[in-house]
Amino acid sequence: MRIDRQIDEMDIAELKVELEKLHSASFGWALSCCGRDRGEAEEVLQMVYLKILEGKARFRGEASLKTWLFAVIRNTALSERRRSLLRRLRLAADRETRPEPASLYEAPGASFERSETQTQFQNALKSLPARQREALHLVFYEDLSLREAADVMRVSIGSARQHYERGKKKLRESLGQTDNSYGISWRAKENPGAV
Amino acid sequence: MELAGEQKRIQALFSELRLADEQTVPRFATTWNHAQARTVRPARAFNLSFIAATALLIGALVSLAVWSKYSQPNAPAAVAGTMTASGIVKAADETPVTPSLLDHKSSRHSSISRASRLAAQRRAVMLAINQRAARDAGVISSWESPTSAHLKSQNDELLKSVQQLRENADELKSFLPNKPK
Repeated sequence: MRIDRQIDEMDIAELKVELEKLHSASFGWALSCCGRDRGEAEEVLQMVYLKILEGKARFRGEASLKTWLFAVIRNTALSERRRSLLRRLRLAADRETRPEPASLYEAPGASFERSETQTQFQNALKSLPARQREALHLVFYEDLSLREAADVMRVSIGSARQHYERGKKKLRESLGQTDNSYGISWRAKENPGAV
Repeated sequence: MELAGEQKRIQALFSELRLADEQTVPRFATTWNHAQARTVRPARAFNLSFIAATALLIGALVSLAVWSKYSQPNAPAAVAGTMTASGIVKAADETPVTPSLLDHKSSRHSSISRASRLAAQRRAVMLAINQRAARDAGVISSWESPTSAHLKSQNDELLKSVQQLRENADELKSFLPNKPK
């Protein structure tokens, strides 16, 4: 009994070190799962760590730790969203008056152009269906392969690829609509000589 | 070529977003400690609710025991003489009791008499129900249809009597010309 306990404690200690390494990426993923709501993302991440501490979520080595952790974060965020639906509806009016979360996190020295670009990009991301947004985030933001993204999303690799391709296409279309304002500034940033 | 450019553009936008997010990531230790603190809280809440539930259960058991003790008809002698044929209850405490005995066993006696009274009332109600059921059964069995008079005729007697067929047959045999061999 005592030996089992020691093993558990050791596992938690080891896991804690690994979780700390993945903390930043986990927070980014939690943000994406929670519709860029920082408070909700923190709450979800806390709940995930709580699940790990209580042994409700156990890593059995079936997938990589990152994939497993991201799947737990995704499930927790989904269930948390379902639970707090009424609360969110009540606060919806209040949230509309708040500034966009992304604009809160901009560095003080960020240029107007960058802020504008990011706002447009995030609006385009928000307009995507959840699965497509998840696929794009996991591949582009978290640098996961399509197979790993499929594992996190609990879908087949074919389905993940479809979400990824469709998401990319829609995102291109959305960004294309604002090409006059966005495209020129982006090209100017990428290739200053061309503009 | 254009697609690759678009891919790069999306990649760049995501990288930018990640950089912005990394500046606002809460400290791991803070999040972890908050989670650890939350593991303690539910345990305390469980203990409180467990204690409350246990107290409630014990209270319910005690009240049940008390109720069952006082509601049991535990004086058969008293109950025996409580009922008459008409279902009127005679209280058990009508039996002569000396004042000294009454003083000594007043509390017990009152509980017994109450129990016996309840039992007697129950029996009286049952008896009344049975009597009424018997009366109703009699009424039903003697009931006659208002149109039954129309079904009667003068030839009813003929239909009720059975013909002596065998005797008639013997008489007929005597008239037959050829007897069977």
